[in-house]
Amino acid sequence: MVVRVSTGRALLAATLGVGLAVTAQAASYPDIGPLPQLKIDKAKAELGKRLFFDVRLSGDAAISCADCHVPEKAYASKEALSPGYPGNGHFRNASSLVNTAHKNIWNWDGRIGTNLNDMTREMITEDYIMNMDMRIMQERLKQDPLYVKMFKDAGYGEPSNGSVRKAIPEFLKTLTSTGSPFDTGTMSASAKRGMKLFKGKAGCIQCHNGPLLTDLKPHNTGVPENFDVFLDPMNHQAFMAFAMFQGIPNYRNMKRDPGYFNVTLEKKDMGKFITPSLRELKYSAPYMHNGMIKTLPDVVEFYNNGGGKDSNKSKKLKPLGLSASQKKDLVAFLESLSGKPLTGSKYVWDQPYPGEYPVIENWTQVRN
Amino acid sequence: MSIKKIAPSLVAAAVATVVLTACQAQETKMGSAAAGKSMAAKTAQSGPPPLAPLGPPPIPPDNKQTPAKIELGKILFFDPRLGGDASTGCSTCHEPDQGWAWAEDFSRGYPGTVHWRNSQTIINSAYYSRLFWAGSVPSLEKQAKSAAKGGVAGNGEDDIMESRLALIPGYRKRFKDVFGSEWPLIGDAWRAISAFERTLVQRDTPLDKYLLGDKSALTEQQVKGMALFNGKAGCIQCHNGEMATDQDYYNIGVPPNKRWEEDGLAQVTFRFELYAKGMTEEGYRTTKADPGFYFRGKNKWDKGKFRTPSLRYTTYTAPYMHNGVFYTMEEVVDFYNRGGFDEEGRTTGYPENKSKLIKPLGLTDEEKEDLLAFLEAFSGEEIMMEKPAMPEYAPLFTKAELEAAQEAK
Ligand code: HEC
Ligand code: HEC
Ligand code: HEC
Ligand code: HEC
Repeated sequence: MVVRVSTGRALLAATLGVGLAVTAQAASYPDIGPLPQLKIDKAKAELGKRLFFDVRLSGDAAISCADCHVPEKAYASKEALSPGYPGNGHFRNASSLVNTAHKNIWNWDGRIGTNLNDMTREMITEDYIMNMDMRIMQERLKQDPLYVKMFKDAGYGEPSNGSVRKAIPEFLKTLTSTGSPFDTGTMSASAKRGMKLFKGKAGCIQCHNGPLLTDLKPHNTGVPENFDVFLDPMNHQAFMAFAMFQGIPNYRNMKRDPGYFNVTLEKKDMGKFITPSLRELKYSAPYMHNGMIKTLPDVVEFYNNGGGKDSNKSKKLKPLGLSASQKKDLVAFLESLSGKPLTGSKYVWDQPYPGEYPVIENWTQVRN
Repeated sequence: MSIKKIAPSLVAAAVATVVLTACQAQETKMGSAAAGKSMAAKTAQSGPPPLAPLGPPPIPPDNKQTPAKIELGKILFFDPRLGGDASTGCSTCHEPDQGWAWAEDFSRGYPGTVHWRNSQTIINSAYYSRLFWAGSVPSLEKQAKSAAKGGVAGNGEDDIMESRLALIPGYRKRFKDVFGSEWPLIGDAWRAISAFERTLVQRDTPLDKYLLGDKSALTEQQVKGMALFNGKAGCIQCHNGEMATDQDYYNIGVPPNKRWEEDGLAQVTFRFELYAKGMTEEGYRTTKADPGFYFRGKNKWDKGKFRTPSLRYTTYTAPYMHNGVFYTMEEVVDFYNRGGFDEEGRTTGYPENKSKLIKPLGLTDEEKEDLLAFLEAFSGEEIMMEKPAMPEYAPLFTKAELEAAQEAK
């Protein structure tokens, strides 16, 4: 265990180190713009969709991915802090999943840097998320005739853990922003002024750049702690279990979210979080890793003040001195980055799931 | 660690395979040492050891009994927070008023599942050298851990369970008092529960009293039944000594539970168990009856063998056998009388392994009655217990402490 975690840490740290050096030197940023199209396998994505909304993927068959990643909220959580698996809370906001397939590093602290296959496994198996023994999950799926058919049609053969971890990412690819004023060239004049500020005076582009409006790198912006993480034992137990499992020293006395420190265990990374995408913010409030900022005007105000209080805060953040109308323009630009909601049956599995597992007939004769 | 807990890692794919194999080994890695001990008794010329009054349970030197530890163990035993979604603790499937077991053929499972075996009574479990129907673990301490974690049992993980204990001030205090540690450690929870279980013993049954010299403790009919038990019915060959078990493993012909043919949820669990316990691909595809002791050493002659259970406290623990196929003691006795067949003539899925000791007994109706009467002598009063009050969660830090930490950032 320890060995695996530290291998992960070392690899991830190395890649990021190089990235940071390059950006610092170049001092010009990848431009913002439309997202590339992703090739999607329909049958696999359809299977992934059914899995995403199926409570039988959790240990006690009580919650699905969509209970935390709510379609109407751009697949982020409704409240500041995500719900947890029954009997638990959580200590972070559930990240929006729109455009997650375009990323190469996941979770607010960036602890997964491989692929959505691993991310999916983490969600299904983590004890305060879905707490599923994937071996039971596999047998549940094999007991559902529609899954048996869908896995086969998708070219996966019989239902298996491995193909669940491929099909769900395929579905996640379909959750790509479409139709934002920014992408369709229909921004208001105010939004256009906001974009200028974004790239200029407000300096947002330093971290929020490229088609996703993120450098996918960790920064400390000084977002205040959400005390509900520690004052509600349900949330605190999830945090403690997380920090214990990650091997964070003195985790029981910890009174803050360590963020990227968790990945490197280096002090300089304390309180850093991976820059999030700024697409679909219209739907995904409240904001930040712990939902501590409720509205976009509040976010802009936060940056206008030079971010929050933290001795490790990024040097890139300074008071901005934006006027009231400039703040409005910046908000208008942020809003122009939201497209159509990804709801409705194209994205949401809306057919009922069977109430119980049908029996496999002639059981003693057929192969398992 | 279960497959559930795969560390975030860049080398995930390779690691996943390793973890898989490692956790599959869980039940299979156990040595076959345990079987040896009872063999010794059997090879002695004198035949099986006679039934005997039950002495005090063995207490492991590294987990001494203390009143405070036992009390802590009792609370933990009844606390559903020692499980995945805080709904399913030990007592959920080991209900005091269901014989400290569960009164259905298959035990209830973790929510969303059903178990695949009958829940065993906790009463007198302290005396076994190996626990579970197939003897897969060597101590109560290890047993508690695997019960709390198993996917169709408690489905809890160490990190979450230990964190819960840390956030319950009543537990922090008790763990500190008992184990001297600053924070509750999950391993100590299993120790405390085991200490509690070692108090759940029954040593004053009619049989104990009789064997200790109180000849009025058994009726005349029971005395006749005892003679059959020791003689014509041959039960003593396996159900012997103070626990009425040789703790050895036999296939006595118990037929597969029909629920596996009729209940989709049970089919899910059946395949899961084969998968989790490391069957070969072909074994997974074709197995239709619980292989039992086979999982220990993967010897095909062990398929369908289970540990001889104690007959103590059985008045309260119906249904019987590893898969609960018999709901009454009458059915059990009829099953033995037919030589290991149920009333439909069904027997084990592994007839080639059926013990030679199981053969038609030719008991008359009266003899069956006598034997049944004697079997009751293995149970004393029903052991009931009130559920203790559960200590509550409380925040670990005050708002002021959090504010100070925020200021200091
Ligand atoms: C109990 C709530 C919950 C459930 C259920 C849940 N998630 Fe999450 N998910 C979260 C939270 C909270 C985070 C952020 C975790 C963090 O940063 O540590 C997250 C993060 C993610 C991310 C990373 C997003 C990013 O861009 O960084 C992905 C992808 C994801 N979840 C997919 C899924 C999938 C697929 C499922 C179902 C198999 C699922 N989640 C089920 C709460 C949940
Ligand atoms: C130093 C890098 C950096 C700069 C500069 C920066 N951000 Fe951020 N931004 C971040 C990080 C990191 C987060 C996540 C912080 C957290 O969750 O604690 C974030 C979060 C956000 C969020 C919340 C997104 C969500 O999904 O919750 C918004 C909105 C945002 N930034 C807008 C802006 C704007 C507007 C500017 C310019 C005024 C700006 N940012 C400048 C790094 C930066
Ligand atoms: C979901 C139901 C369930 C839960 C929860 C559960 N058990 Fe069990 N228990 C069983 C079943 C079923 C068996 C037999 C399993 C087998 O042999 O594979 C068993 C067997 C046992 C045995 C073995 C007795 C013997 O004769 O060998 C002991 C001791 C025991 N459980 C204690 C516990 C403790 C302690 C806990 C809590 C940490 C617990 N159980 C939680 C269902 C459960
Ligand atoms: C060859 C050894 C052997 C002999 C002889 C034997 N038993 Fe058993 N007995 C076992 C084993 C092994 C089991 C568990 C079998 C299973 O679950 O598949 C068992 C189970 C039982 C049970 C069920 C207990 C429970 O908790 O579910 C009862 C009751 C019982 N035997 C009574 C008897 C009686 C009465 C006789 C004599 C007629 C007898 N046995 C003869 C080995 C034996």
